[in-house]
Amino acid sequence: MAELLLEFDRPEDLARAARELRRKGYAELEAYTPYSTEEVREALPERRSWVPYLVLGGGLSGAGGAYFLQWYLVAYLYPLNAGGRPPHMPLAFVPITFEMGILGAAFAAFFGVLWAGRLVRPWHPVFEADGFDSASVDKFWLAVPADDEPGREALQSTVQSLGALRSVYVPSAVRR
Amino acid sequence: MDERHDELHSSVHATHAVVGSELTFGSVTDKISAIVLKRKTPISWFIGFAVSFALFQLMMLAITKLLFVGIGMWGVNVPVAWGMDILNFVWWIGIGHAGTLISAILLLLRQKWRTSINRFAEAMTLFAVAQAGMYPIMHLGRPWLAYWLFPYPSTMQVWPQVKSALPWDAAAVSTYGTVSLLFWYLGLLPDLAAIRDSAPELWRRRVYGIFALGWRGDERTWLHYRRAYLLLAGLATPLVLSVHSIVSSDFAIGLTPGWHSLIFPPYFVAGAIFSGFAMVLTLLIPARKVFSLEKMVTLRHLDNCAKLLLTTGLMVSYGYLIEYFLAWYSSDATERYQFFVARPSGPNAIFWYFMLLGNVLVPHLFWFERVRRNLWALFVLSLVINLGMWSERFVIIVLSLQREFMVSQWGDYSPTWVDLSILGGTMCFFSLLFLLFLRFLPFMAASELKELRREIEHVPQLAREPREREGDVHG
Repeated sequence: MAELLLEFDRPEDLARAARELRRKGYAELEAYTPYSTEEVREALPERRSWVPYLVLGGGLSGAGGAYFLQWYLVAYLYPLNAGGRPPHMPLAFVPITFEMGILGAAFAAFFGVLWAGRLVRPWHPVFEADGFDSASVDKFWLAVPADDEPGREALQSTVQSLGALRSVYVPSAVRR
Repeated sequence: MDERHDELHSSVHATHAVVGSELTFGSVTDKISAIVLKRKTPISWFIGFAVSFALFQLMMLAITKLLFVGIGMWGVNVPVAWGMDILNFVWWIGIGHAGTLISAILLLLRQKWRTSINRFAEAMTLFAVAQAGMYPIMHLGRPWLAYWLFPYPSTMQVWPQVKSALPWDAAAVSTYGTVSLLFWYLGLLPDLAAIRDSAPELWRRRVYGIFALGWRGDERTWLHYRRAYLLLAGLATPLVLSVHSIVSSDFAIGLTPGWHSLIFPPYFVAGAIFSGFAMVLTLLIPARKVFSLEKMVTLRHLDNCAKLLLTTGLMVSYGYLIEYFLAWYSSDATERYQFFVARPSGPNAIFWYFMLLGNVLVPHLFWFERVRRNLWALFVLSLVINLGMWSERFVIIVLSLQREFMVSQWGDYSPTWVDLSILGGTMCFFSLLFLLFLRFLPFMAASELKELRREIEHVPQLAREPREREGDVHG
């Protein structure tokens, strides 16, 4: 199990190469880029982010939990007459419900990205590639799965014409 | 790698509107990470650090005294039971709001010019909230019992009274601090990875590598990252409006003349953003000079900040006008006395004049382009506005409490050395954190700047600005 990493100078070069490879049947491509560009996004297989659903869930559970907790504390467990307000007073519960909703959603967004991107993982096989340092600075890298030896030769000849600055084999990442 | 960087570096010449047009992708990272990795720390950094550290120690001394003796060390007493402590809390939290405005609201409005100052402004938010958060805890009198604010399962079975504005405040400020931190850190990840990958020494690669959480910049992560970043911006926007609204309800819910007003939430929010933009300028102008970032923070950024100061300053003035109108229209003798006699001519009235100077008069200077593009004028005026907004909070809190309903209730207020040391100390603690941030973290969003740089290639209007104005950038 290995991956071929190709380095490109510009995102449009990477996009052209990715489209070419997909035409030739290499479907599982991945790009490593210093910033996100439309060209690269469009050239790779289409994906949708599920983080927004997680954020919605986080927000609703934060808000719901906060409302329930407030009711439970001041209307059920320890009802206190403060200024003649009724024990269960929805209006007074609004601010904390809102804040905790935001907090839950923000936690879901942050930890959702860490989870979705398989982060908090200081080492990864791609880091073994020579010159991969540039992927976070100013170069654009494309990863092509290169599983078996016979396929590798075909891949090598395909890659020749793509205009990559360099190509490196790395052991493929543990399946994500 | 070095050759490439040198070559790219030499191509950095021109200055353009939202980002220098000849900055290449490599040179953006190079310039920003060079401040962290290569550049010798300027002597002014050490001087600033030493002064801040010394006064920070004075604050620690004052806080120690406060903890041993109690809040009687402050100038507060009945009737002015809320003094500089609550006033500084409101002031600091307000300063933070412009950071969120720049990073979140301007992102949602697709204002490209924010890109080179958003990280800076977010850090300002975070550090300002850290200062603000200390005050209410000190004000508890017994800060070691601060956890009583949270609904923990206590054997006494007494729970926070969530129908009061003060637990709302605790929820709002702690949420605001947490969300600001998450937003800031999420934005930092790609840049920490860039520093990790361009650091020459192994130990730095390790340190930044740990904080970069193994960021690889794969398209899959970027996809989720972009959505999450946008959603966080969308969440931070109503949050920032809610935080100062809730802070204002600490006052508006009370019956004290001068506090009990429906205008408070929007008027507090406008004031917060106003003071925050002043603080952005106060910090940005020297940092831009010291780290020679004229190509990334252009005059257009400062000009836009000044325009926002004018806009929010007018909103604040409108708030004052309505406040006075309502006091008159209420026909309430104590309200009228508070606004028309006590504030202009009572004890500590000088702050009322500072307030009018800083928040009503000074913003009108920003009608003039010459002022908006003059660095010295902007810097000095931003300081005057900071003072004006501090005075506004002094007026609202202290002047209102000095003159409540009955003459027998009237009193006076003057701060003690502990009050002043803690105020000065938080300013120095803030600058201490800020100096550390400038030295050790990428204080501009390099990945976003690269993206913007690329968009400029495709959409030339973004870079367009009359040439003649750019002359004074270098001057």
